[in-house]
Amino acid sequence: MSSISQIPIQILPAGDGLTGQAEAVLTEIVEMLGRLLETGVGDSIDLRSLPLSPADKLWLDAKLGKGEVAINIDAGGRSLVTETAISGVWKVEHRDIEGRMVAELIEVAAVPEIVKPHKTDIEKAYGNLRTSLKQFS
Amino acid sequence: MEKGETLLEHMEREGMSRRTFLKYCASLASLMALPPSAAAAMAEALGKARRPSVIWLPFQECTGCTESITRSNAPSVEGMIFDMISLDYQETLMAAAGFQAEEALQNAMKENYGKYVLIIDGSVSTGLDGAYSCIGGRSNLDSLKEAAKGAAAIIALGTCASFGGIPKANPNPTGAVAVSDIIKDKPIINISGCPPIPVVITGVIAHYLTFGTVPELDKHGRPKAFYGETIHDRCYRRPFYDQGKFAKTFDDEGARNGWCLFELGCKGPVTYNACATTKWNDGTSFPIESGHGCIGCSEPDFWDAGGFYKALSTAASPLKYVGAAAAVGAAAGVAVSFANRARKSAAKAAHETTTTSDLEK
Repeated sequence: MSSISQIPIQILPAGDGLTGQAEAVLTEIVEMLGRLLETGVGDSIDLRSLPLSPADKLWLDAKLGKGEVAINIDAGGRSLVTETAISGVWKVEHRDIEGRMVAELIEVAAVPEIVKPHKTDIEKAYGNLRTSLKQFS
Repeated sequence: MEKGETLLEHMEREGMSRRTFLKYCASLASLMALPPSAAAAMAEALGKARRPSVIWLPFQECTGCTESITRSNAPSVEGMIFDMISLDYQETLMAAAGFQAEEALQNAMKENYGKYVLIIDGSVSTGLDGAYSCIGGRSNLDSLKEAAKGAAAIIALGTCASFGGIPKANPNPTGAVAVSDIIKDKPIINISGCPPIPVVITGVIAHYLTFGTVPELDKHGRPKAFYGETIHDRCYRRPFYDQGKFAKTFDDEGARNGWCLFELGCKGPVTYNACATTKWNDGTSFPIESGHGCIGCSEPDFWDAGGFYKALSTAASPLKYVGAAAAVGAAAGVAVSFANRARKSAAKAAHETTTTSDLEK
């Protein structure tokens, strides 16, 4: 095979099969972003609970675009947190140990919840680190 | 999990991070149709939960329900939830047998009286005082009545326990009934399906542990989070139904194009279950995605509904077809019925090979 274009895979144009759901999701994101600015409280949308067609998803991805930050999390399987081109709007994909998608969210927040360490964990880490430092002194 | 230990303590001991737990809760919230923001609250509540005692009694059943749950891939959300409960009695899974097994059951009921969750799979035989199905010399009917007395809640797992299922199908020789036909004074959650979807029982247990209550139920006692919509509502082939594009046989152009299987007897429009979203075999697909219509296995009396390959609108079936698009579907179905009858007559006259669809008419 001389060129990649000869591989017989065709990607359907995003305009084909749109149900109108993606536009509704985008409207909801705008509302959430407004609330985040006003109150500082974030929110999220569970994409798997919505009957979005493949075309809807492509359309939404195209509208949200790609931002500068991508975070890989290795906790009970891979999770990928990517910033969209719209600041404060993140795409969060959780996979289990065998790579199956278990949750797909749009999260509107300064930093997605899963990225932040829990206060208890920081306290525990602080204690552990202090203890190990004492062993050297 | 050690006795008295909370789930979070257990997970930390097993080397799982809080982030992993939060992630599991996000996937559980998604499964349970809770808002994503509920994940953090769930993690908080579930983390503090202590495992409840669970007693699982199998009655008139084929063990398909147990297979469905135990064959779900581990490690998984299901695996994690099963770590959260103390499964004190389950004949198929436990090592003990005979007298020791029965003693374990009695001890579990005594020690956790009023607090344990009782899971029943299989229907309850009432014919000849329940003599058609006995374990350890006692009828299922007796065992159910005794175990139900000390239960905090009952989960009827599978269509047999929920509605009588296949044992109750005509002519019902054993007098099979559902758990809810016998027990009237306890909260009963029906998780129907033949077999039920593994993550549904996971979700119900997680809900019970998180909120300490049974989830909101529909008119058939099924959790609305999973049985709130029909297969048809969430089917990816639904747009073809709306466009009037139907497969007429299992190998015609429509079938190859993935058109709606309504005319081939799909019971999706009257069947409430989560197959279209949670799917089966590690989320690979569900029957309609594999080219076969839904047989309505999570509905009462699905076995006697008049034929798996009859279009809903043609059969005088217990699975009633109502809905916004019913008129369109009914018109299409009636046309199919006439077409099938004509095809059968023509095939008979010409001594051609008849199809499954012809045989149903």
